[in-house]
Amino acid sequence: MGWYILKRIVQTIPVIVFATLIIYALVFLRPGDPILNLFGDKPVSEATRATIEAQYNLDKPFIVQWLLFLKGALTFDFGTSFSGQPVIDQIQRAFPVSVTLALMAVAFEAVLAIIIGTYAGIRRGGWFDGISLVVSLLIVAVPIFVIGFLFQIFIGIKADIDWLPPTVGGDWTITDLIMPAIVLGLTSLAFAMRLTRGSVSENLAADHVRTARAKGLSEGKVVRNHVLRNSLIPVVTFLGADLGTLMAGAIVTEGIFNVPGIGGLAYSAILKGESPTIVSVVTLMVLIYVVMSLLVDILYAWLDPRIRYA
Amino acid sequence: MRLTRRVRLAGVALAASALVLTACSGGSDDEGSGDASDAIISVNGSEPENPLIPTATNETGGGNPIQNLFAGLVAYNADGSTTNEVAESIESDDATLWTVTLNDGWTFTDGTPVTAESFVNAWNYGADPANAQLNAYFFYPIEGTTEEGNTPEGVSTISGLTVVDESTFTIQLKKPESDFPLRLGYSAYFPLPEAAYGPDGKITAEYGERPIGNGPYMLSESGWEHDVQISMVTNPDYEGARTPANGGLTFKFYADLDAAYTDLVGGDLDVLDTVPDSALATFETDDVQAFNDPGSVFQSFTIPETLPHFSGEEGKLRRQAISYAINREEVTDKIFDGTRTPASDFTAPVLDGWSEEVEGNEVLTFDEEKAQELWAEADAISPWTGSFQIAYNTDGGHKAWVDATTNQIKNALDIDSSGAPYATFDELRAKVNDNTITTAFRTGWQADYPSMLNYLGPLYGTGAGSNDGEYTNPEFDTTIADAASTEGDDRYALIEDAQAILFTDLPAIPLWYSNIAAAAATDVDNVEFTWQNLPDYYKITK
Amino acid sequence: MPDSTNKPQRPGQERFVAPLDETPLAAIDNVDIERAPESQWKEAWKRMRRSPMFWSSVTILAFLAVVIAFPQLFTSADPRYAQLSDSLEPAREGHPFGFTKQGADVWARTVYGARASVAVGLLTTIIFVVVGVVTGAVAAYYGKFADTVISRTSDIFFSIPLLLGCIVVVSVINNTWPDRGFWGSVLVIVLALSLFAWPQITRQMRAAVLEVKNLEFVDAARAIGASGRANLVRHIVPNAIGPVIVTATISLGVFIVSEATLSFLGLGLPSNVMSWGNDIAAAEVQIRSGENLRVLMVPSVALAVTVLGFILLGEAVREALDPKARKK
Repeated sequence: MGWYILKRIVQTIPVIVFATLIIYALVFLRPGDPILNLFGDKPVSEATRATIEAQYNLDKPFIVQWLLFLKGALTFDFGTSFSGQPVIDQIQRAFPVSVTLALMAVAFEAVLAIIIGTYAGIRRGGWFDGISLVVSLLIVAVPIFVIGFLFQIFIGIKADIDWLPPTVGGDWTITDLIMPAIVLGLTSLAFAMRLTRGSVSENLAADHVRTARAKGLSEGKVVRNHVLRNSLIPVVTFLGADLGTLMAGAIVTEGIFNVPGIGGLAYSAILKGESPTIVSVVTLMVLIYVVMSLLVDILYAWLDPRIRYA
Repeated sequence: MRLTRRVRLAGVALAASALVLTACSGGSDDEGSGDASDAIISVNGSEPENPLIPTATNETGGGNPIQNLFAGLVAYNADGSTTNEVAESIESDDATLWTVTLNDGWTFTDGTPVTAESFVNAWNYGADPANAQLNAYFFYPIEGTTEEGNTPEGVSTISGLTVVDESTFTIQLKKPESDFPLRLGYSAYFPLPEAAYGPDGKITAEYGERPIGNGPYMLSESGWEHDVQISMVTNPDYEGARTPANGGLTFKFYADLDAAYTDLVGGDLDVLDTVPDSALATFETDDVQAFNDPGSVFQSFTIPETLPHFSGEEGKLRRQAISYAINREEVTDKIFDGTRTPASDFTAPVLDGWSEEVEGNEVLTFDEEKAQELWAEADAISPWTGSFQIAYNTDGGHKAWVDATTNQIKNALDIDSSGAPYATFDELRAKVNDNTITTAFRTGWQADYPSMLNYLGPLYGTGAGSNDGEYTNPEFDTTIADAASTEGDDRYALIEDAQAILFTDLPAIPLWYSNIAAAAATDVDNVEFTWQNLPDYYKITK
Repeated sequence: MPDSTNKPQRPGQERFVAPLDETPLAAIDNVDIERAPESQWKEAWKRMRRSPMFWSSVTILAFLAVVIAFPQLFTSADPRYAQLSDSLEPAREGHPFGFTKQGADVWARTVYGARASVAVGLLTTIIFVVVGVVTGAVAAYYGKFADTVISRTSDIFFSIPLLLGCIVVVSVINNTWPDRGFWGSVLVIVLALSLFAWPQITRQMRAAVLEVKNLEFVDAARAIGASGRANLVRHIVPNAIGPVIVTATISLGVFIVSEATLSFLGLGLPSNVMSWGNDIAAAEVQIRSGENLRVLMVPSVALAVTVLGFILLGEAVREALDPKARKK
């Protein structure tokens, strides 16, 4: 197992190299001119432009810019934003709130999905199954910016519950994040729920489950010990991968609830063409993703003894 | 429903009320009238994109705090007139060589005095391209700078600035400008203390994080908390024209105005300077104080000469036809819920000398028949082909009005017309700047200083920095130059002549002025807005 | 690392040996002896025909197809005609759901918007499933080098969050390819979405195949001499595809909605291409006031019903294809 983990970590290196290369190339291909963003509608002199371009390596070919980034990243120097702030500081500020939010969202999603999904899977075709299908469908079919505003306005403002404030802000607490976490978790709840349901009903018909039943185990025990364990494999894969998505993909949720997180940081960096920030965020996402999928793979082996790694 | 309309006071009355306020807060403790004078007012802001250095900041996230942390030679009154602040006098005989004399007794919050050098050094620093300061542009009228306001290569000081003694310096301009002192309240002209510069002569990063100023407020102990807020308390040594009636300000950061409005309604924010689109329909009936008055932002779109069918006589006819085809009243009413005011000229209604009656502005009224007539005349010169598109940046909330306006053009002229979206501001500007844009495009302007001329010269003067349509008309240029060196009513008459020229050529199609559409919590008082569409922070009480 | 077969079995996980005629091995033997291999799909079709879920989804989707093909049958209003004086006007003769903020007919726009929205959802899903299933199955079945290359490539694209990646790609393409017409605009969104979405199916497929690969019937098929690829296509993929179909049909809804989210951020389909996403994003401002919500509801309901149609179809197909579920 130790060897396997080491191998996986080594494999991360090309992933980071290529992911940053792709993003660097895309940002470079973006047709704008980041210096114009700095100056707004005021003219820019050639001399000032040259100074800024030299300062941020914008005058160099993109492959050189990217290599310089990689070189810096090796020494944990991720460059600075156009405002002169070290990118590492920006990320350090945005990271805790994003991680907390994403973990809360995944927890919410996992608990709800596994409970509802399992029950719907067992009672497949029943009324509970039907209702859970329609509800999960509604959630899928409503864009997050609509759900977010509905929550904010009806729960945050109209209901006016003290510990559920409508916005979060920079000085956040765990309870502030409950509402945004629910909204964020809802976006992929339907997936996790349908996956659990499908998996559970599939596994209910599996041979080893029949055996367990034949042995005279109670239905509850059968589900807990034999069905759920195998059924959770696709769900765990999904949730593991979802954590990263929920961190940096929470652009809209962060905007609505004023959460100063990674998503908003990356989004504004894209709009401003600030490659160092975008690429650093992507590097971080790759790292998180790799760690998560490694954990998921290890979980597989535990959840399903038939899977083996060498 | 609570609705408070901002009352715009005449210059004199306003200056007087400022004095009264000063007097009041000076002796408030004894009189008991200042019961809430130590209240901290929370206002909306955003994480500054640049260090908090006056010449380095050109966006509101950093600009609004800086306005409160520093005091310049003059301060703006709400109506756009100026009051001397650090300056005792700013005088000139020929409107070209200006002599500035400073008041005694001004200090920075570190105790060092504000001297002529504090200004001149800061300006030199701002103009030197090696420092890449974003506000260098503001120094372009001064002798010894380039068109973009930088010092020429190899020179690090502006030759037009001369320090006479500790409290006097002179400014030599490139050409006469009678309203030059009006510019000096802008943040690019603020002074900097010695402490700002490091041993290498550069402004230090520490200073940019925690500036030492001379304004009505200074940073509190917590100061600038990144991604959270900037908090400031009153500066006890400040004796200028803007003595705070409150105990301090907190600029809370919001990436999204919607969240800020939500906080305002929820009681977690005191003042919001811009109401988000989603609340425009309801903010005047929501449980907040609503403000909705004409402001200083001029919105338009520009049809460059280089587009097919838009040059020469044909272009003139088509531009007029398009202008007649737009029902501005309807767009401002239906799309903006009355938070825009249909334009009647090329400037803005909050300025001295502004008039609703400008020769030729009937082209801004909606007249479908006239539009069709003119369009047909143009078709007679060369039949119309293609689609009429207006380019806009989607990160600025322009989609709704562009769609509405192009729909009106489509309906009135029976041609294909639509919006052309660009993802970001810089993508659109890059195309505009290198003249590769193949459509009309949105343009807008908020003046740097409260003068009608600032809406005309930089935008339509031949070769001017922000002349996006590459418009050129010698007659207009001379009229503007004359106006710049004239004063009083003669000046306004010349400005009107210049606008009349614009109305025949329509280098930009005026649309509307953005109103001050703002809101404040119900328990906040004395919220007034300036010509810059911002609250007069120091007056707010709670 | 020791092979798990050498390890003591976990409690409760002892292998149960069913009578020979009940094992999947017998089923495979039957198939091989009596019928051509395609019959598995035929059988699935037979089962599907009996499913009410299948027929309700077919009804919804057939209706949708008619709407897309002949929108003029459902509305006489011109969806592109907008008169600002009608802004947010309530329903009246010929305009059953009133008008949008721009003064266009809500119903007509929803009817005509179906084409772009369904095109985005369907095309993205097709690309995403085909690429994902092939890569995932290959990675899991062949393992070793193929697995490493595919898994790492999918890591690259999957570690970049969908929305973030799409924003970058769309903003790059938008201006390098202006005036790209209906299909061009749809294609840009489809490519952006599928570029960052396919690894989801890859990973799921890989996991599912890994799970199925070691099952007895596959060993059996291998033992009776089925070639690697035949084994993969005939036995492993159909058995592993269940969760993929669930993901794919839900994703279809997610893709249609993603277009709305991109529109909300200003990076969706341009406004001259009508789509539900565009209309929902434009109507979002109605939420705060709570007035004229029908402007938001009509395209949202259309979207929901469409997603329902596809999800039901997915469920029906999955049940029909799933050899394990059918034994119940």
